Amino acid sequence: MITRREWIAMIGAAPLVRSAAAAAAPASPVSIARCASYNEDVTAHLAAMFDQLGGLERLVRDKTVTIKVNMTGGPGTRFRGKAPALTHYTHPKVLGSAAYLMGRAGAKRIRFVESSWASAGPLEESMLDAGWSVRQLQAAAPVVEFENTNALGKYKRYARFPVPGQAYMYPAYDLNQVFEETDVMVSMAKLKNHATCGVTLSLKNCFGNLPASIYGDDAGKNEPNERPTSGRDQVGHEGNRQPSKSAPQELHFGASHDPGYRVPHIVADLAAARPIHLAIIDGVESVAGGEGPWIGGLRLVQPGVLIAGLNPVSTDAVATAVMGYNPRAVRGTAPFRQCDNTLLLAEAHGAGSADLSRIDVRGLPLAQALYKFEG
Amino acid sequence: MRAAGMLAALGWVSGWCAPAPQAWVPMRWPWQDARSLELLAGTPINCLLLETYSPELVTAASKRGLVTLAQIAPGGDAVAEARGALARGVSGIVLEGSFAEGIPAAVRAAAGSAPVVEITARNRLALGSSAQVLATDQGVWPGIPAEDGGHSKMAGPSGSAWINTNTGFIRAVRAWGDAAVWLANAPPAGEVVTAERYLQAIADAAISGGRWVIALDHGFAGRLAAGDENARAGWQRMAGLLAYFERHPEWRAMRAAGKLALVQDPAKGGLLSGGILDMIAVKHTPVTPVPPQRLTPEALAGTTVAVDVDAGALTAPDQTVLRDFAHAGGTVLTSPTGFKDERPPGDSITLTKAELERFNDIWHDVNSLVGRENLGVRLFNVSSMLSNVLASADGKTEIVHLVNYSDYAVENVTVQFLGNYRHATLLTPDGGQKALEVYPADEASAVDIDKVAVCATIKLEP
Repeated sequence: MITRREWIAMIGAAPLVRSAAAAAAPASPVSIARCASYNEDVTAHLAAMFDQLGGLERLVRDKTVTIKVNMTGGPGTRFRGKAPALTHYTHPKVLGSAAYLMGRAGAKRIRFVESSWASAGPLEESMLDAGWSVRQLQAAAPVVEFENTNALGKYKRYARFPVPGQAYMYPAYDLNQVFEETDVMVSMAKLKNHATCGVTLSLKNCFGNLPASIYGDDAGKNEPNERPTSGRDQVGHEGNRQPSKSAPQELHFGASHDPGYRVPHIVADLAAARPIHLAIIDGVESVAGGEGPWIGGLRLVQPGVLIAGLNPVSTDAVATAVMGYNPRAVRGTAPFRQCDNTLLLAEAHGAGSADLSRIDVRGLPLAQALYKFEG
Repeated sequence: MRAAGMLAALGWVSGWCAPAPQAWVPMRWPWQDARSLELLAGTPINCLLLETYSPELVTAASKRGLVTLAQIAPGGDAVAEARGALARGVSGIVLEGSFAEGIPAAVRAAAGSAPVVEITARNRLALGSSAQVLATDQGVWPGIPAEDGGHSKMAGPSGSAWINTNTGFIRAVRAWGDAAVWLANAPPAGEVVTAERYLQAIADAAISGGRWVIALDHGFAGRLAAGDENARAGWQRMAGLLAYFERHPEWRAMRAAGKLALVQDPAKGGLLSGGILDMIAVKHTPVTPVPPQRLTPEALAGTTVAVDVDAGALTAPDQTVLRDFAHAGGTVLTSPTGFKDERPPGDSITLTKAELERFNDIWHDVNSLVGRENLGVRLFNVSSMLSNVLASADGKTEIVHLVNYSDYAVENVTVQFLGNYRHATLLTPDGGQKALEVYPADEASAVDIDKVAVCATIKLEP
């Protein structure tokens, strides 16, 4: 863990070594806002942040906006009995506020999506089980829809997303068609650690785009299983089996069974294959030490921040720094002690820059937003 | 004998205006002094179980119209002890424990018209008998079991918390008779029992029509007697929750509602906690327990799915009832081949690992069959809760009881229900009544509840 002095030096310094791809990766402004509680005016905070990023209207007017939220694990799995939005799920107030602002900015349609844990049932039911008011979310904008991307859902076929350039793990990914019917892709993540990936932010959030029907433990061997009932350990984390044959197969199957290698590489692939146009990270209340209640040693934290940016890698770099980490840290150092750095992998794919010296942080200064997740 | 009978009669006469056993609200009374009875002011507790007692306590209790039951344990001359207790003015006797055969009958004979309640192991309950009270001291302590440094017991990201409950057992027993059912288990030793845990124990029994015999742990009783403010506040909440259920005797008369019936012998798997009824309960699927002893077409009326836990044990007429049910369009799910629902061995009341695996087969079948289907009521955001859905005899009113077993209030609960109910009222133990907005949802109607502390009830009406 770095000291505060080292951290301050780090956020102001250019990396000593930067690859050509990293140098070419786009960097976008990132906005930070102080939001100590969900009882504050979240809508006003987000509105100010979007203005700092150049305005929402130019991004969403007359567009179909898909918002991937974070509802990792079953909604009944609670940490100390608290509502999941106060621990490891994105908070519905952040969803509602964002949808309201997007609707006001002229978005044609807003779709909340998530691959509900071990289920192909309606996403609305997972939300209700999390204690969210679906009716309020529906009322936040003129057209609000929901899609559980864990299987076909409301669609008849899957959409294929090739990884541009040289893919790390799979040449392409088959996803729910909602991701194809998307003009603006938003990753709405939670600010937290991840047992496998060190941190889970807007990039890692999109690992949940993978349908368990194809990439789940009980995915069909040849064709998708439209009633998945498990997670993605065997395919994604462990590499013990291939996804359904209907989807592109793993490039180097059997080469690695290390989740700390596999998941960051898959996430980086996904960031290139299904680009993210807006990253929103809910760091108002969260957990540290892992991504959900099933991780031992979890702690409640209140970083009291909202973070948003137009580039997911840059946004995650700032968020990682807010958590007190070096976003360019290499494997073996916090927070990437047993895994590769997803941000750097995505950067190498050209998805965005993780170089803090190239990122214009707006709103709350980074030094004032620091909330150490360790130490 | 004659004198004893007379004394017994006198004892009973002294409380002749006392409530019928069905209406007794029991408590193990831990104090000896008459003044302690002042704690009962404003509570519905009307029946005291006395392990030891003073004459002044019995006299004062009698003057208050309270039923006093002297506890007798195995090992001594139970008949003589019963006579002695009745001679000292108690209203009746409680035999608690495992007595030699014939002793309970002898005590009853000695007690004459004075009531004798037996608190037994579950597998010794006189199910199907004319007993007015069926009581057992075998119960799980209701709540979410903690492990791993305070984390709730669960498995992986999908694991909702398991809830220890006696509801399945109570429902199975109450499906086969009209006796009052008492859970007389004590709070867990060596644990700090908070007021919330007592409230959960009371509600756990009450939502299924049973009664937990109030038993305060030594620490709580001591603080309460000493006038500790927090203990007093907790006691008031317990009294309020007891009163909440006792204000609604009609709830105990209501029948289980829902479209799923579970045909299971209460004297076998029905005696268990954590069995198939409780497995279904944690999924919040309304279920109607139907004992084979009462398996008739009428018992299955209103249901569309019947789970037959032990197909091999049914009589030919029982099998005909299920066959006719299927011919009429119902779905019958039978247990896997070779599965037998057996009486729990010894005094066990929970499943062994092997039994759990056996039941899991049935559970998975039920789970796949039910899926997302609304079999009466679907509940959302209730992972720390259990529920019970009941209907009035005329079918016009339904109630949904909710008990929250976490230490936190749960916010934003959604209830989707079938049936033509246009009015919904939220009832809470503090006496609150709030009309809820009924709105259409997914081929059903729905209401939203802002917050559930320990217990709440939704009343649905046309």
